[in-house]
Amino acid sequence: MSDSSIPIASTPPPLASNAHARWVSHSVLAALVVLLGAFPWLAPLLGLDYYVDFVRRILIVSMAALSLNFLIGRAGLVALGHAGFVGVGAYAVVAMVEGGFSNAWGIWLVAAAAGTVMAALIGLVAVRTQGVYFIMITLACAQMLYYLAVSLRIWGGDDGYTLYNPLVLFNGAGGAVHAQGNWLFTLVLLALAAIFLLISRIERSYLGRALEGIRDNATRMQAMGYPTFKLKLLAFALAGGIASLSGALLATQNGFVSPSLMQWNQSALLIVMVVIGGIGLRWGAPLGVAVWLTLEEILKQSTDYWHAPMGVLLIAVVFLAPKGLAAFFAKKNGVSKKQSTQRKEGVA
Amino acid sequence: MSLLSIHKLVKRFGALTATDHVSLAVEKGEIHALIGPNGAGKSTLVHLISGLLSADSGSLTLDGKELIHLAPHQRVAAGLSRCFQITSIFPKLTVAENLLLAVQAHAANSFRWFKLRDKDTHLKAQAWALAQRVQLHDQWNTTAGTLPHGAQRKLDVALAIAASPKLLLLDEPMAGMGPAESEEMVALIQELRHDMAILLIEHDMDAVFQLADRITVLVYGKVFAQGTAEQIQNDPRVQAVYLGQEDEVGEEGTQQEEDAA
Repeated sequence: MSDSSIPIASTPPPLASNAHARWVSHSVLAALVVLLGAFPWLAPLLGLDYYVDFVRRILIVSMAALSLNFLIGRAGLVALGHAGFVGVGAYAVVAMVEGGFSNAWGIWLVAAAAGTVMAALIGLVAVRTQGVYFIMITLACAQMLYYLAVSLRIWGGDDGYTLYNPLVLFNGAGGAVHAQGNWLFTLVLLALAAIFLLISRIERSYLGRALEGIRDNATRMQAMGYPTFKLKLLAFALAGGIASLSGALLATQNGFVSPSLMQWNQSALLIVMVVIGGIGLRWGAPLGVAVWLTLEEILKQSTDYWHAPMGVLLIAVVFLAPKGLAAFFAKKNGVSKKQSTQRKEGVA
Repeated sequence: MSLLSIHKLVKRFGALTATDHVSLAVEKGEIHALIGPNGAGKSTLVHLISGLLSADSGSLTLDGKELIHLAPHQRVAAGLSRCFQITSIFPKLTVAENLLLAVQAHAANSFRWFKLRDKDTHLKAQAWALAQRVQLHDQWNTTAGTLPHGAQRKLDVALAIAASPKLLLLDEPMAGMGPAESEEMVALIQELRHDMAILLIEHDMDAVFQLADRITVLVYGKVFAQGTAEQIQNDPRVQAVYLGQEDEVGEEGTQQEEDAA
C-alpha cells in the first residue's frame, strides 16, 4: 500500500459480528448430538426401533444437503447433479468391496476422494459456465454417471449391487466390529456434526469470504484480481467430496446400491430440501431434509398419493417463508432480521 | 517508454466496429482523459483494457508487459485496476467487508479454507487505511447497499485502488453525482494521482479540464483528436462534436455499447 501520506489514525474498529448467533447455533448442535446420540440406545425401550434407520437416513442425507447448500448458498453455484456425487461415493464402496476390501475407514476415505476428483473433473467444464448452462451441464454429467452405473454389469447394472458382508470398523477382542447398528449411527452423527462445523468454518475462511464475493458480484471479483474459476472449482470439488462421503455412508447403511441413487430427480429433491430449509442458512439443509423425509414417512403410512401434499408444502414454503424454514427459526431465536436477511450468514 | 501503450486496438460487434484501431499512451504520473459523445466506444475500450472483453486485434502493454492475452484477474496482478460506470460493489456486505475482500485479493491467499479471514489483523489494518483514504471510515460497519450514491462511488474506487495499481481506469466516476459529491471525487482523484497514473472517462467537462493532463477524444470508435488539455479545449473540431453539430453521432452505437457493457 502506498498510502504513507495518510497516517493510520487508530486501529480499525471491530467488525460487525454475529458471534451470538453462532454461539446459539453451536449450543443447539451440541444438544442435538447428545439427544440423537442417545436415541439408538433409548429407542428399543420406547418401542421406536424402527425409526433408528430412519433417523440415520436423515443424518446421511443431511450431509449431502449441507454440501449442496454450501455450493448454492455460499458460492452461488446451483448444481442440479449433486446426487451424481452421492452415487460416486456409493459405487466407490461397491468397487472396493468387489476388489476384496472390507475396512470401513479406508473405503470411506477412498469414496470421499473419488467424489472430490470426479467433482473436480466435472467442475473443469461446468464451473466455466453460469446460470442455466451450469445447471444443465451438472445435470448432464450426473445423468452420464447414472447411465454408466446402469451399464456396468460387474457392479450390478440396473439391478443394483448387494453388499452381503457389512464393512469392518475394527477387529476387537470378540471379533470384528461391523459398520452397522448403533456403531454406524454414532459414527454418522459425529461425521455430520464435524462436517457441519467444517462448513461453518470454511464459510468464515479466506475461501468462504471470496466465494461469498463471487456469489454476489463475480465481475467485480475478477476486476479485483480474484481467480474466480479456480476458487469456484475448489468449492465444487469440496462439496463433491462431502456428497460422496454421504453416498458411501448410505451404501454402508443400506447394504445395497442401485443407479436410482443418482437419477436426476434425486438431485432435484436435494435442491427442494435445501430450498425448504433455507438456502445459505447454516441449519437450512438439515432442517429441510428432516422436515421433508419426516412428512414423506408420515404421509406414506396413510396414503399412496403422498406426493401431492409434499408439493403443497413446497409451494407454501416458497410463498410463506421464502428464505426457508431456518430463517423463520432464526427470527424466533432473537437473531435480528438484519443478520439473517442482509448478511446471509447461516444463523437459525 | 509509456506506462500504458495501446496500439491499434480493434473490437467489432458484428458490422459495428466499436473500437477502430485505437492507439493511445498513458505516461507515469499522468491523468489521461478519454472523452467522446455517447456511443463513441469509451466503455468498450475500458472493457478491452481491463480484459472483460477480448480484443479482435491490437496490442496493450503495461510497463512493457503485453497484457492482451491475459485474463482480467491477471491484468490486475500486472498493475491495472478499474472502476465501473455502474457502481459495482457488494451491497449486502458492510463497508469493512467490502474493503477486506478487496485487500484480501492481493495480501492473502484466498484458497485458505480453514483459517478465519476476519481474524487477520494485517488485512484489517489495510482495509482500515483504505477506508480512511476514501473517507468512509465513519461508515465502517454500514451495509454498503444503504450508503448514499456518492459514498458508494467512493467505495467502488477504494475496491480498485486496494490492488495498489500502476494504472487506474476510472469509468465515469462522477456519473449521477451532485456538485458537492463531484468535488469530493475530484479531490480524491487529485490525491490518488500521486500514487498511480489514471485513465479517466468522464462526461463532466469541468472535472475533465480540472484533472486531465492530456485528453483523447473518441468518435465512432476512432481517435478523433489527441493532445494536452489546452489543445483539446481550443480545438474547433472537438467543440463541434460537443456542441452537437454531429448530433446523429453514435445513436446506433449506444445500444451496442450498452449491450457489450
